[in-house]
Amino acid sequence: MIATKTAFTLLIALPLVAAPLIYLIGRLVYRSGKAKNNPAGWLALIVLLLTAGLWVLLYLRKKTETLVLITGQVTMAGDAVFLLMSITAIALGLMVVMFSIFYMRAEPGEEKFYALLSANIGSIIGLSATTDLFNLWVWFEAMAVTTYLLVAFYKDLPGSLESGIKYLVQSAAGSALILIGIALVVAETGTLELNLMAEMLREPNALLLAAGGLFLVGFGVKAALVPMHTWLPDAHSQAPSGISMMLSGIVIEAGLIAMLRVLGVFLQVTNLFGPLLLGFAALNMLVGNLMALRQTEVKRMLAYSSVAQVGYILLGFGTAFTLGVSDGSISAFFHLMNHALMKGLAFMAAGVLIYTLFLRNGSHATLKVTDLNGAARKYPLAALAFSIAVLALGGLPPLSGFMSKTAVFLTTFYTLNPWMIALVIFAALNAVLSLGYYAPLVNRMYRLEASEAVKNGAPMPWLMALPLILMALLIVVMGFYPMLLSDLFIPAGVNILPYAGF
Amino acid sequence: MNSIEILPVVIAAVFCLLGIGIYALLVTRNLIKVVVALQIMVKGALLALVAAGRLAGNVDLGQSMALTVIVADTIVAVVGLALAVQIRRHFGTLDLKSIATLRK
Repeated sequence: MIATKTAFTLLIALPLVAAPLIYLIGRLVYRSGKAKNNPAGWLALIVLLLTAGLWVLLYLRKKTETLVLITGQVTMAGDAVFLLMSITAIALGLMVVMFSIFYMRAEPGEEKFYALLSANIGSIIGLSATTDLFNLWVWFEAMAVTTYLLVAFYKDLPGSLESGIKYLVQSAAGSALILIGIALVVAETGTLELNLMAEMLREPNALLLAAGGLFLVGFGVKAALVPMHTWLPDAHSQAPSGISMMLSGIVIEAGLIAMLRVLGVFLQVTNLFGPLLLGFAALNMLVGNLMALRQTEVKRMLAYSSVAQVGYILLGFGTAFTLGVSDGSISAFFHLMNHALMKGLAFMAAGVLIYTLFLRNGSHATLKVTDLNGAARKYPLAALAFSIAVLALGGLPPLSGFMSKTAVFLTTFYTLNPWMIALVIFAALNAVLSLGYYAPLVNRMYRLEASEAVKNGAPMPWLMALPLILMALLIVVMGFYPMLLSDLFIPAGVNILPYAGF
Repeated sequence: MNSIEILPVVIAAVFCLLGIGIYALLVTRNLIKVVVALQIMVKGALLALVAAGRLAGNVDLGQSMALTVIVADTIVAVVGLALAVQIRRHFGTLDLKSIATLRK
């Protein structure tokens, strides 16, 4: 058996080290003409399976020992938040690879896609393990660069380039603001270690509040808090469908977790940021849902729905932040995992339809809502998976989305603070509003005559069925057994905000 | 040398660079200039990091952070410029207004 420390190092390093190898091997084998199809996808699948294996090993060891890795002055800690975020990234990555092997086949530069995807997952794993402020920024930037390249992957499509540059400019401006925040905090405390920093902070002053504000805006760009969300619908709708899954399912959440880890330190001296987070939660829900209502493109609608879902997650975290209720962050993590599952499945099912209706016929057209008409008869599995995903997102029982949304609402409600109760009512009305765009999609697939695009569609490849079935099953099972993954999200919820007083 | 206090000058420079960067980011429409504006902003942040290291009495910390940021920031600039090249090829222009085709 390998030592725990080695396994921890490998878990962080493996996807990053494998990325250039996937690229090289894929390129060389494909160029030599020996293989009919590019092996890069299968390589990425093997790498991610190995990573998942390492994660399981660490998870079993975690019960008896603490995972800490110290290199020089930099500490990586494998706490409960790390375990939750890394398995979400790895599992979603596995689904993305399985789905993309057909979706990306014969795309020019296919091996780059898998190399960048692997690096992206590696940087998310690193991001969730770090407890050092500057190190957090470095991982954050690594994640950002890989996602810029993945969003602009179709380098010959104008829309893809436009969304890539939009994303890059907004996100890079955000990271510059984070750097200024780091400089302010370092000038004040002289340390980068988040735990040490919390001990050094004694009283709030203007510098610290300014730093907190800069972190809120800087990380907020990546987490799609509402005035800074404008890159999201473009990036999500123009990226390859697998990348939309990653972006929506884990990348924006990773930005959110990074922000909470840093802002959590400020809880030691000020309680100002909790109400701010709740304000952003309300804004995100309202703007996301209202904008989603008027979209005619499926992936763009799902993208705006991600903005709204970040609002629900933030509602839970904001409650924990403001009132020191650990249930708030626990239910928020529950919804975060569920969201990765539901939104991942929704984007994947939309991707299956894009592949069969357009990509197979050599067209890069966008999937309009009207193209879904009558899809259920020809693509029963994709339509069923899509329906399960969007109904779970809308919060219909007995699916998992209902459970986690209820958990968030109830914990917020039971604080019995009149403002919080008002916020819960607002959120619940928003959840109803969201059905206004989810339900018609299901109606279109099952009850309308088949559209022209569906009639000309190609059959669905076998490999795409596997991740669809897996994820749809998990959503239904989690609806009946919501505590199935509670070993992951309960410790994480207690762990994320060490200074919130629970 | 110590008779001149350097820190206020550095902090003023940080604010100047940041102000110029943000202003340029808001008004400019040429893609290359946008990347330059981002660079100016990050240069301000670099200076702030070094100054913070000195303020905290830990000069090494500030400088090592600054060096790391230079590397990371260059990568972002390279990606941005590569996108600019592709955009020029496909749109025939670098004007941000005229490449905005995606709906709100």
